[in-house]
Amino acid sequence: MPNDPLVVIPAFNEQDCIGEVVREVTAAGHDCLVVDDGSTDHTLAVARATGVPVLALPINLGVGGALRAGFRYAVDHGYSIVVQVDADGQHVASHVDELIAALADDGAHLDMVVGSRFSGGSDYDISRVRRWCIRLLSWVIARSGHVELTDPTSGFRAIRSPLLDAFAADFPHHYLGDTFEAILVSARRGYRIGEVPVVMRPRQGGRPSADVMALGQAMARACTILLTGTTFDLPSRAPVDDPPASADRS
Amino acid sequence: MAAGGALIMTVVLRLARRRLLSTRYAIGWLAVGAMVALAAGIMPFVGRIGKLANMSPTAVLLAMSSVLLLVISVQLSISVSQLQERLRTTAEAHALLARRLDEVERRAE
Repeated sequence: MPNDPLVVIPAFNEQDCIGEVVREVTAAGHDCLVVDDGSTDHTLAVARATGVPVLALPINLGVGGALRAGFRYAVDHGYSIVVQVDADGQHVASHVDELIAALADDGAHLDMVVGSRFSGGSDYDISRVRRWCIRLLSWVIARSGHVELTDPTSGFRAIRSPLLDAFAADFPHHYLGDTFEAILVSARRGYRIGEVPVVMRPRQGGRPSADVMALGQAMARACTILLTGTTFDLPSRAPVDDPPASADRS
Repeated sequence: MAAGGALIMTVVLRLARRRLLSTRYAIGWLAVGAMVALAAGIMPFVGRIGKLANMSPTAVLLAMSSVLLLVISVQLSISVSQLQERLRTTAEAHALLARRLDEVERRAE
Protein backbone atom coordinates (compact mmCIF):
# COMPACT_ATOMS: atom_id res chain seq x y z
CA MET A 1 0.00 0.00 0.00
CA PRO A 2 1.35 3.41 -0.88
CA ASN A 3 2.06 5.85 1.84
CA ASP A 4 -0.57 8.59 1.30
CA PRO A 5 -0.26 11.42 0.52
CA LEU A 6 1.99 11.86 -2.49
CA VAL A 7 3.42 15.37 -2.52
CA VAL A 8 3.59 16.54 -6.14
CA ILE A 9 5.96 19.42 -6.89
CA PRO A 10 5.64 20.96 -10.36
CA ALA A 11 8.90 22.76 -11.15
CA PHE A 12 9.85 25.11 -13.96
CA ASN A 13 13.31 26.68 -13.79
CA GLU A 14 13.60 26.41 -10.00
CA GLN A 15 17.17 25.08 -9.71
CA ASP A 16 17.92 27.27 -6.67
CA CYS A 17 14.93 26.13 -4.59
CA ILE A 18 13.86 22.68 -5.70
CA GLY A 19 16.50 20.75 -3.77
CA GLU A 20 15.65 22.38 -0.45
CA VAL A 21 11.88 21.97 -1.02
CA VAL A 22 12.28 18.24 -1.72
CA ARG A 23 14.50 17.79 1.35
CA GLU A 24 11.93 19.54 3.53
CA VAL A 25 9.06 17.38 2.24
CA THR A 26 10.92 14.08 2.57
CA ALA A 27 12.21 15.09 6.02
CA ALA A 28 8.54 15.50 7.01
CA GLY A 29 8.08 11.83 6.05
CA HIS A 30 6.05 12.28 2.86
CA ASP A 31 6.42 10.53 -0.48
CA CYS A 32 7.41 13.07 -3.08
CA LEU A 33 7.29 13.41 -6.87
CA VAL A 34 8.92 16.24 -8.82
CA VAL A 35 7.47 17.05 -12.24
CA ASP A 36 10.03 19.02 -14.24
CA ASP A 37 8.03 21.14 -16.67
CA GLY A 38 10.60 21.34 -19.46
CA SER A 39 13.01 23.53 -17.47
CA THR A 40 15.91 25.10 -19.35
CA ASP A 41 18.16 25.37 -16.29
CA HIS A 42 19.50 22.60 -14.03
CA THR A 43 16.20 21.90 -12.24
CA LEU A 44 16.02 18.37 -13.64
CA ALA A 45 19.55 17.45 -12.56
CA VAL A 46 19.07 18.94 -9.08
CA ALA A 47 15.73 17.13 -8.67
CA ARG A 48 17.20 13.78 -9.82
CA ALA A 49 20.12 14.19 -7.40
CA THR A 50 17.67 14.25 -4.46
CA GLY A 51 16.74 10.64 -5.21
CA VAL A 52 12.94 11.10 -5.31
CA PRO A 53 10.98 10.04 -8.41
CA VAL A 54 11.07 12.67 -11.16
CA LEU A 55 8.85 13.05 -14.21
CA ALA A 56 10.58 15.00 -16.98
CA LEU A 57 8.23 16.68 -19.44
CA PRO A 58 10.05 17.07 -22.78
CA ILE A 59 8.49 20.52 -23.37
CA ASN A 60 7.10 23.25 -21.14
CA LEU A 61 3.36 22.68 -20.68
CA GLY A 62 2.51 25.02 -17.81
CA VAL A 63 1.55 24.06 -14.27
CA GLY A 64 -1.64 22.28 -15.34
CA GLY A 65 0.21 19.92 -17.67
CA ALA A 66 2.79 19.11 -15.03
CA LEU A 67 0.02 18.53 -12.50
CA ARG A 68 -2.05 16.24 -14.72
CA ALA A 69 1.03 14.08 -15.32
CA GLY A 70 1.62 14.08 -11.54
CA PHE A 71 -2.01 13.14 -10.81
CA ARG A 72 -1.80 10.33 -13.38
CA TYR A 73 1.40 9.03 -11.74
CA ALA A 74 -0.27 9.14 -8.32
CA VAL A 75 -3.37 7.26 -9.48
CA ASP A 76 -1.30 4.65 -11.35
CA HIS A 77 0.79 4.06 -8.24
CA GLY A 78 -2.23 3.60 -6.00
CA TYR A 79 -2.21 6.89 -4.09
CA SER A 80 -5.59 8.32 -3.19
CA ILE A 81 -4.40 11.72 -1.92
CA VAL A 82 -2.11 14.23 -3.62
CA VAL A 83 -0.78 17.39 -2.04
CA GLN A 84 0.43 19.98 -4.53
CA VAL A 85 3.36 22.08 -3.32
CA ASP A 86 5.12 24.88 -5.20
CA ALA A 87 8.80 24.42 -6.08
CA ASP A 88 9.81 27.95 -5.07
CA GLY A 89 9.82 27.28 -1.32
CA GLN A 90 6.79 29.44 -0.51
CA HIS A 91 4.90 26.57 1.07
CA VAL A 92 5.89 25.25 4.46
CA ALA A 93 6.03 21.45 4.49
CA SER A 94 4.67 21.23 8.03
CA HIS A 95 1.32 22.53 6.75
CA VAL A 96 0.90 19.41 4.59
CA ASP A 97 -0.35 17.54 7.66
CA GLU A 98 -2.94 20.25 8.31
CA LEU A 99 -4.32 19.92 4.77
CA ILE A 100 -4.47 16.14 5.19
CA ALA A 101 -6.18 16.48 8.56
CA ALA A 102 -8.87 18.66 6.98
CA LEU A 103 -9.40 16.05 4.25
CA ALA A 104 -9.61 13.27 6.82
CA ASP A 105 -12.36 15.04 8.76
CA ASP A 106 -15.25 12.59 8.31
CA GLY A 107 -17.95 15.17 8.94
CA ALA A 108 -16.95 17.48 6.13
CA HIS A 109 -16.42 14.93 3.31
CA LEU A 110 -14.03 17.29 1.57
CA ASP A 111 -12.56 16.40 -1.83
CA MET A 112 -10.12 19.29 -1.98
CA VAL A 113 -8.52 21.48 0.68
CA VAL A 114 -6.85 24.74 -0.31
CA GLY A 115 -4.14 26.32 1.81
CA SER A 116 -5.10 29.98 2.10
CA ARG A 117 -2.75 32.89 2.73
CA PHE A 118 -5.60 35.20 3.62
CA SER A 119 -7.83 33.32 6.03
CA GLY A 120 -6.54 33.43 9.57
CA GLY A 121 -3.56 35.23 10.97
CA SER A 122 -1.14 35.20 8.06
CA ASP A 123 -0.36 38.64 6.64
CA TYR A 124 1.09 37.76 3.29
CA ASP A 125 2.49 40.76 1.47
CA ILE A 126 0.93 41.16 -1.95
CA SER A 127 0.30 44.04 -4.31
CA ARG A 128 -3.05 45.79 -4.01
CA VAL A 129 -3.97 45.04 -7.65
CA ARG A 130 -3.27 41.37 -7.18
CA ARG A 131 -5.23 41.22 -3.97
CA TRP A 132 -8.18 42.86 -5.68
CA CYS A 133 -8.04 40.39 -8.56
CA ILE A 134 -8.01 37.45 -6.16
CA ARG A 135 -11.02 38.92 -4.33
CA LEU A 136 -12.85 39.12 -7.63
CA LEU A 137 -12.10 35.48 -8.42
CA SER A 138 -13.27 34.48 -4.91
CA TRP A 139 -16.49 36.36 -5.49
CA VAL A 140 -17.11 34.55 -8.78
CA ILE A 141 -16.48 31.16 -7.15
CA ALA A 142 -18.80 32.02 -4.27
CA ARG A 143 -21.58 33.11 -6.64
CA SER A 144 -21.24 30.40 -9.24
CA GLY A 145 -19.84 27.49 -7.25
CA HIS A 146 -21.36 28.32 -3.84
CA VAL A 147 -18.05 27.86 -2.00
CA GLU A 148 -16.38 30.51 0.11
CA LEU A 149 -12.64 30.50 -0.58
CA THR A 150 -10.36 33.39 0.29
CA ASP A 151 -7.40 32.27 -1.83
CA PRO A 152 -8.58 30.45 -4.96
CA THR A 153 -5.27 30.96 -6.81
CA SER A 154 -3.24 29.21 -4.13
CA GLY A 155 -0.98 26.46 -5.47
CA PHE A 156 -0.93 24.66 -2.13
CA ARG A 157 -3.72 22.10 -2.16
CA ALA A 158 -4.66 18.59 -1.11
CA ILE A 159 -6.87 16.56 -3.47
CA ARG A 160 -8.30 13.10 -2.88
CA SER A 161 -10.06 10.42 -4.88
CA PRO A 162 -12.47 10.48 -6.70
CA LEU A 163 -11.64 14.09 -7.60
CA LEU A 164 -7.99 13.04 -8.03
CA ASP A 165 -8.97 10.41 -10.62
CA ALA A 166 -11.11 12.95 -12.46
CA PHE A 167 -8.21 15.43 -12.54
CA ALA A 168 -5.84 12.72 -13.77
CA ALA A 169 -8.14 12.24 -16.76
CA ASP A 170 -8.75 15.91 -17.56
CA PHE A 171 -7.17 19.04 -16.15
CA PRO A 172 -6.78 22.49 -17.74
CA HIS A 173 -3.23 23.63 -18.45
CA HIS A 174 -3.47 27.36 -19.17
CA TYR A 175 -2.64 29.98 -16.56
CA LEU A 176 -5.43 30.20 -13.93
CA GLY A 177 -6.97 27.05 -15.40
CA ASP A 178 -5.24 24.84 -12.85
CA THR A 179 -6.43 26.98 -9.93
CA PHE A 180 -9.48 29.16 -10.51
CA GLU A 181 -11.13 27.12 -13.25
CA ALA A 182 -10.38 23.75 -11.67
CA ILE A 183 -12.00 24.92 -8.42
CA LEU A 184 -14.97 26.44 -10.22
CA VAL A 185 -15.72 23.28 -12.22
CA SER A 186 -15.19 21.01 -9.19
CA ALA A 187 -17.57 23.10 -7.09
CA ARG A 188 -20.22 23.14 -9.82
CA ARG A 189 -19.95 19.37 -10.16
CA GLY A 190 -20.69 18.82 -6.50
CA TYR A 191 -17.18 18.20 -5.15
CA ARG A 192 -16.63 19.66 -1.71
CA ILE A 193 -13.87 22.17 -1.23
CA GLY A 194 -12.59 23.62 2.01
CA GLU A 195 -9.66 25.76 3.07
CA VAL A 196 -7.25 25.98 5.95
CA PRO A 197 -5.13 28.99 6.86
CA VAL A 198 -1.44 28.58 6.08
CA VAL A 199 1.59 30.80 6.39
CA MET A 200 3.55 31.26 3.20
CA ARG A 201 7.12 32.41 3.04
CA PRO A 202 8.34 34.86 0.48
CA ARG A 203 9.70 32.84 -2.43
CA GLN A 204 13.19 31.50 -1.73
CA GLY A 205 14.71 32.36 -5.10
CA GLY A 206 14.00 32.78 -8.78
CA ARG A 207 11.42 35.22 -10.09
CA PRO A 208 7.66 35.35 -9.44
CA SER A 209 5.67 33.83 -12.27
CA ALA A 210 3.04 36.55 -12.41
CA ASP A 211 4.06 40.11 -13.24
CA VAL A 212 1.61 42.86 -14.14
CA MET A 213 1.32 41.72 -17.76
CA ALA A 214 0.60 38.15 -16.74
CA LEU A 215 -1.94 39.43 -14.25
CA GLY A 216 -3.80 41.36 -16.93
CA GLN A 217 -3.68 38.31 -19.14
CA ALA A 218 -4.99 36.21 -16.28
CA MET A 219 -7.94 38.52 -15.69
CA ALA A 220 -8.73 38.49 -19.41
CA ARG A 221 -8.59 34.72 -19.24
CA ALA A 222 -10.89 34.62 -16.23
CA CYS A 223 -13.42 36.82 -18.05
CA THR A 224 -13.20 34.57 -21.13
CA ILE A 225 -13.85 31.50 -18.99
CA LEU A 226 -16.96 33.19 -17.61
CA LEU A 227 -18.15 34.31 -21.05
CA THR A 228 -17.49 31.13 -23.02
CA GLY A 229 -17.94 28.57 -20.30
CA THR A 230 -15.27 26.41 -18.79
CA THR A 231 -12.73 24.67 -21.00
CA PHE A 232 -12.99 21.26 -19.35
CA ASP A 233 -15.51 19.23 -17.43
CA LEU A 234 -15.62 16.59 -14.73
CA PRO A 235 -18.01 13.76 -13.94
CA SER A 236 -20.40 14.79 -11.18
CA ARG A 237 -19.60 13.87 -7.61
CA ALA A 238 -21.48 10.84 -6.33
CA PRO A 239 -23.71 11.68 -3.37
CA VAL A 240 -21.72 11.56 -0.14
CA ASP A 241 -23.86 8.92 1.56
CA ASP A 242 -23.28 6.34 -1.18
CA PRO A 243 -20.18 4.19 -1.16
CA PRO A 244 -17.60 5.83 -3.42
CA ALA A 245 -18.06 4.68 -7.00
CA SER A 246 -15.01 2.96 -8.40
CA ALA A 247 -13.49 4.97 -11.22
CA ASP A 248 -14.04 3.01 -14.40
CA ARG A 249 -11.06 3.06 -16.68
CA SER A 250 -10.87 0.79 -19.68
CA MET B 1 -10.57 34.39 -62.44
CA ALA B 2 -11.21 30.94 -63.87
CA ALA B 3 -7.50 30.58 -64.63
CA GLY B 4 -6.64 31.65 -61.08
CA GLY B 5 -8.98 29.04 -59.64
CA ALA B 6 -7.50 26.37 -61.87
CA LEU B 7 -3.99 27.40 -60.82
CA ILE B 8 -4.88 27.10 -57.10
CA MET B 9 -6.37 23.66 -57.68
CA THR B 10 -3.31 22.49 -59.61
CA VAL B 11 -0.91 23.69 -56.91
CA VAL B 12 -3.03 22.08 -54.16
CA LEU B 13 -3.10 18.76 -56.04
CA ARG B 14 0.69 18.89 -56.49
CA LEU B 15 1.22 19.59 -52.78
CA ALA B 16 -1.15 16.83 -51.77
CA ARG B 17 0.57 14.34 -54.07
CA ARG B 18 3.97 15.25 -52.56
CA ARG B 19 2.49 14.70 -49.06
CA LEU B 20 3.15 18.30 -48.05
CA LEU B 21 -0.55 18.81 -47.52
CA SER B 22 -2.81 16.31 -45.76
CA THR B 23 -5.97 15.17 -47.55
CA ARG B 24 -8.07 16.98 -44.98
CA TYR B 25 -6.68 20.39 -45.93
CA ALA B 26 -6.32 19.51 -49.60
CA ILE B 27 -10.10 19.12 -49.81
CA GLY B 28 -10.63 22.51 -48.21
CA TRP B 29 -8.20 24.27 -50.51
CA LEU B 30 -9.60 22.52 -53.56
CA ALA B 31 -12.98 23.91 -52.57
CA VAL B 32 -11.42 27.38 -52.33
CA GLY B 33 -9.95 26.94 -55.82
CA ALA B 34 -13.31 25.82 -57.14
CA MET B 35 -15.01 28.81 -55.53
CA VAL B 36 -12.52 31.19 -57.11
CA ALA B 37 -13.12 29.56 -60.48
CA LEU B 38 -16.87 29.80 -60.01
CA ALA B 39 -16.52 33.42 -58.91
CA ALA B 40 -15.82 34.14 -62.57
CA GLY B 41 -19.43 33.14 -63.19
CA ILE B 42 -20.86 35.56 -60.65
CA MET B 43 -18.82 38.54 -61.87
CA PRO B 44 -21.89 40.13 -63.55
CA PHE B 45 -23.69 39.99 -60.20
CA VAL B 46 -20.82 41.63 -58.34
CA GLY B 47 -21.54 44.89 -60.07
CA ARG B 48 -25.21 44.68 -59.14
CA ILE B 49 -24.47 43.82 -55.49
CA GLY B 50 -22.08 46.77 -55.50
CA LYS B 51 -24.79 49.11 -56.70
CA LEU B 52 -27.22 47.83 -54.04
CA ALA B 53 -24.66 48.24 -51.25
CA ASN B 54 -23.26 51.44 -52.75
CA MET B 55 -19.82 49.81 -53.16
CA SER B 56 -17.53 49.56 -56.13
CA PRO B 57 -17.26 46.03 -57.65
CA THR B 58 -13.63 45.91 -56.48
CA ALA B 59 -14.72 46.59 -52.89
CA VAL B 60 -17.34 43.84 -53.09
CA LEU B 61 -14.73 41.34 -54.29
CA LEU B 62 -12.29 42.43 -51.58
CA ALA B 63 -14.96 42.10 -48.90
CA MET B 64 -15.88 38.61 -50.12
CA SER B 65 -12.29 37.44 -50.16
CA SER B 66 -11.66 38.92 -46.67
CA VAL B 67 -14.57 36.89 -45.29
CA LEU B 68 -13.20 33.79 -46.98
CA LEU B 69 -9.73 34.36 -45.51
CA LEU B 70 -11.26 34.97 -42.07
CA VAL B 71 -13.13 31.66 -42.19
CA ILE B 72 -9.96 29.87 -43.26
CA SER B 73 -7.88 31.33 -40.42
CA VAL B 74 -10.51 30.49 -37.82
CA GLN B 75 -10.50 26.93 -39.12
CA LEU B 76 -6.70 26.83 -38.85
CA SER B 77 -6.82 28.18 -35.28
CA ILE B 78 -9.21 25.38 -34.36
CA SER B 79 -6.79 22.85 -35.83
CA VAL B 80 -3.85 24.39 -33.95
CA SER B 81 -5.78 24.25 -30.66
CA GLN B 82 -6.55 20.57 -31.18
CA LEU B 83 -2.91 19.89 -32.01
CA GLN B 84 -1.80 21.73 -28.85
CA GLU B 85 -4.04 19.53 -26.73
CA ARG B 86 -2.73 16.39 -28.43
CA LEU B 87 0.86 17.53 -28.06
CA ARG B 88 0.26 18.14 -24.38
CA THR B 89 -1.23 14.69 -23.83
CA THR B 90 1.64 13.10 -25.73
CA ALA B 91 4.25 15.01 -23.72
CA GLU B 92 2.67 13.91 -20.44
CA ALA B 93 2.50 10.28 -21.57
CA HIS B 94 6.13 10.53 -22.70
CA ALA B 95 7.25 11.71 -19.25
CA LEU B 96 5.31 8.93 -17.50
CA LEU B 97 6.73 6.28 -19.83
CA ALA B 98 10.30 7.57 -19.46
CA ARG B 99 9.91 7.29 -15.70
CA ARG B 100 8.58 3.73 -15.97
CA LEU B 101 11.45 2.77 -18.26
CA ASP B 102 13.89 4.16 -15.67
CA GLU B 103 12.28 1.99 -12.99
CA VAL B 104 12.35 -1.11 -15.16
CA GLU B 105 15.99 -0.57 -16.10
CA ARG B 106 16.99 -0.07 -12.49
CA ARG B 107 15.20 -3.26 -11.48
CA ALA B 108 16.89 -5.18 -14.30
CA GLU B 109 20.39 -4.17 -13.22
